[in-house]
Amino acid sequence: MANPNDQGPSEAQPDGATSRMPRRAVLLGVAATSAVVSIRPALAQTAGSVLNCEIPVPERGRGMFVASDGSLVEPDTPGAFPPSPRDFTGEEVRRALNGRSLPGTTPEQSQAYLNYIRRLQAGQSGFTCYASLQMPRR
Amino acid sequence: MASEPHYSAISADRLKRVDLGAFEAAYDRQSGITHLLADPAPALLDILGETHIGLDAICRRLQRDYDLVGEGEADLSDIVAARLDELADLGLVERRRD
Repeated sequence: MANPNDQGPSEAQPDGATSRMPRRAVLLGVAATSAVVSIRPALAQTAGSVLNCEIPVPERGRGMFVASDGSLVEPDTPGAFPPSPRDFTGEEVRRALNGRSLPGTTPEQSQAYLNYIRRLQAGQSGFTCYASLQMPRR
Repeated sequence: MASEPHYSAISADRLKRVDLGAFEAAYDRQSGITHLLADPAPALLDILGETHIGLDAICRRLQRDYDLVGEGEADLSDIVAARLDELADLGLVERRRD
């Protein structure tokens, strides 16, 4: 018995009626269980190229200063630091994360810059370089 | 009115999505990261559009468009909220806290 509304697979019921096109089933899981596994890009085959990648502080072209918590603020905001005149390498950031200061900075400036780096989001310059520092070494 | 987060899709040209049957691979061109998405994440990505919508609306759309397996009514909101926040934290959906 033809159903004029049929647009796809349907099943004829024993009593002659046809069901709607079946909807896709979706497993819901439970709230506590993650549904995403993220695979970061394989950035380096050797430790050397990872540690030579560069992170500008902050991204070029923003014209903003770096507050001590790493957020970007208007220039000349009290307590904020100007942009670093040079980019930092992955190796320099790795050492700074382990307790040394970033080259050419005071301790407070280094902390502000590191906090900025820690807050980098995907899409910002230096994010991939910073992310690669956190990949476990084999 | 209590403020609750609203969610929308990210820009369409960012994600390359491939259905692998048991799950979906989504390559984010902006970060270079590939995310493997299990249910219900792909459905949530399909439901969201340009307009930010809240949790209740998203749950209704899920119920409307899909056969939901494995939950009681009480859990749907919690599960969807957890998945949306997970996706937002990964940058796969936009979250706006009003």
